[in-house]
Amino acid sequence: MIFQSFKMAWKSISANKPRAFLTMLGIIIGVMSLVVLVSLVTSATNSVTDQIASMGTDMLTVSVMDDKGNPLKQGDLSEIAQDDSIALIAPVSQASGTVKSGTETVSVSIEGTTGAYFQIQGDELASGRLLKTADVENISYVAVLSNEAAVEIYGDANATGRTLTMSGRKYLVVGVLAEDDSMMASFSQNYTVYVPYTVTERLSSAASGVSSFYVAATDAEYIDRAEATVEQALLSRFKNDEDAFFIFNQDTLAETMSSVTNTFSLLLGGIAAISLLVGGIGIMNIMLVSVTERTREIGIRKAIGANKRVILSQFLIEALTICLIGCAIGIALSGLILAVVNLFASDTLTFSFSGSVIIVAVLFSTFIGVAFGIYPARKAAGMHPIDALRYE
Amino acid sequence: MIDLCDISKIYRVGDEEIHALDRVSMTVAEGEFVGITGPSGSGKSTMMHIIGCLDTADYGTYRLDGQPVEHRSEGDLAVIRNRKIGFIFQSFNLISRMTLEENVELPLIYQGVSPHVRRERVGAALERVGLSNRRKHTPNSISGGQQQRAAIARALVTEPALILADEPTGNLDSKTGESILELFRELNASGKTIVLITHDNHIAGETGRTIRIMDGRIEGTG
Repeated sequence: MIFQSFKMAWKSISANKPRAFLTMLGIIIGVMSLVVLVSLVTSATNSVTDQIASMGTDMLTVSVMDDKGNPLKQGDLSEIAQDDSIALIAPVSQASGTVKSGTETVSVSIEGTTGAYFQIQGDELASGRLLKTADVENISYVAVLSNEAAVEIYGDANATGRTLTMSGRKYLVVGVLAEDDSMMASFSQNYTVYVPYTVTERLSSAASGVSSFYVAATDAEYIDRAEATVEQALLSRFKNDEDAFFIFNQDTLAETMSSVTNTFSLLLGGIAAISLLVGGIGIMNIMLVSVTERTREIGIRKAIGANKRVILSQFLIEALTICLIGCAIGIALSGLILAVVNLFASDTLTFSFSGSVIIVAVLFSTFIGVAFGIYPARKAAGMHPIDALRYE
Repeated sequence: MIDLCDISKIYRVGDEEIHALDRVSMTVAEGEFVGITGPSGSGKSTMMHIIGCLDTADYGTYRLDGQPVEHRSEGDLAVIRNRKIGFIFQSFNLISRMTLEENVELPLIYQGVSPHVRRERVGAALERVGLSNRRKHTPNSISGGQQQRAAIARALVTEPALILADEPTGNLDSKTGESILELFRELNASGKTIVLITHDNHIAGETGRTIRIMDGRIEGTG
């Protein structure tokens, strides 16, 4: 019976194809905007959160805002690193400088750190070596370059063994990092020069100690324990002032990121849903016209034994069929649009269907079909057979 | 088969009450071929609506095939129309975008008959009215006489107790009309009860018995 009803609905819809298509257009556009927009946002979110996760969910970034005249020293960090939950700890001080490259100058960011930094970041070498403990202890003027920086300054990545003149001082380039092809890296130019932590400390005017450092937990599971350990150590160090420092957890970043984008996709989905609603009104309009046009048919059907329920379900299923066909076309077109977007999008970002939005689209179209089909269907079902038969 | 007793139907137009039917009583026995005749406005259409269970009387009782019909819900009336009555209209009333086969099938779908049985019975009904070779045609592509035959097939397909025809030859030329009447006579000969409503005395004369209606009352039978 249900199959029969859909067959009948299809027959009435296909009796006037241009009209049916125009009616569907509202639903098609609505579904398309819903699926495409939400899929774009969801895919972008996923790939950003993946990137964040790939940077390590076992990592903490700590900044000291107010050292209470008692700056942290490398020794303090080593003490914190004693805890089982902490694998590595690396101080970072950031500065910027300029490097002479022939007649040009290149602006670079300078990171003063230790060898542990590279391990925490998961950076790999293209050539040479990383910073060593001896470099840090001896305050050696040596530098490790990011791949982009080496290419920008020397024209190619083979910079190991060459000299670097940065802000008036000469450094020996001991290593060049491998290219970073992650998406985060592609957002900005990464002209970074890594030098021993002690070098930047010496060059900076104020002996400010460690103002920020990275912590890697022994395992992602221990990240909370590591955070607690660091927090405890810093609290006791800075007179229990919670505002003196800030611990930044990659996990927290990922969570914040996804909650922001969820709100965003909800917003976009909401806007798309409004266009679906407008499509629903179009369907109601056409169904009302159709009911009036087919008054005589309704009379005939009633005369030969169709009851209210049958007529009601006939028109309801017709509205529903229009909605669902429109929904199917909309989803198919969305797939096409996403495929085209993928052609132009960067390699690291792949846009794909969000499964849940398709379910939402189908359910919402069904809801629209029923909600906007019920009034015309009730109108048809309520007709008196004699009046309907007399209708010209 | 049909047992109308003191049936009245009153319409109100403004303050005025119009007695479309005024205490009409009549019976039709099983296997009869009865013509109901009268000028337009005489109440014969109202009579047909009540006999056909498209409308209910305000007063009086009506038994169809032994069952009382008054005070039934709309849904019950739909079931009675579906199972006991085959309608034939002046303007054929086939659904134009459906093929003859699908038109004839419709009452069986509403009855809930299985597709297999439906196909068989639709085939038999079309065969009976001589339209087997037109089953895939739509009503617009065949002649008026053929359309009326298809409508008769649709009325026959449920094997109803009563066939109710409202001016079935009104839109046909006299020759085609005669062949439709001939088909009615054949059906009657095979045991079908037929009630034919017409304003044409000549056609009424072709039936077994004529009931004449005037101003909502039965004027005479003959």
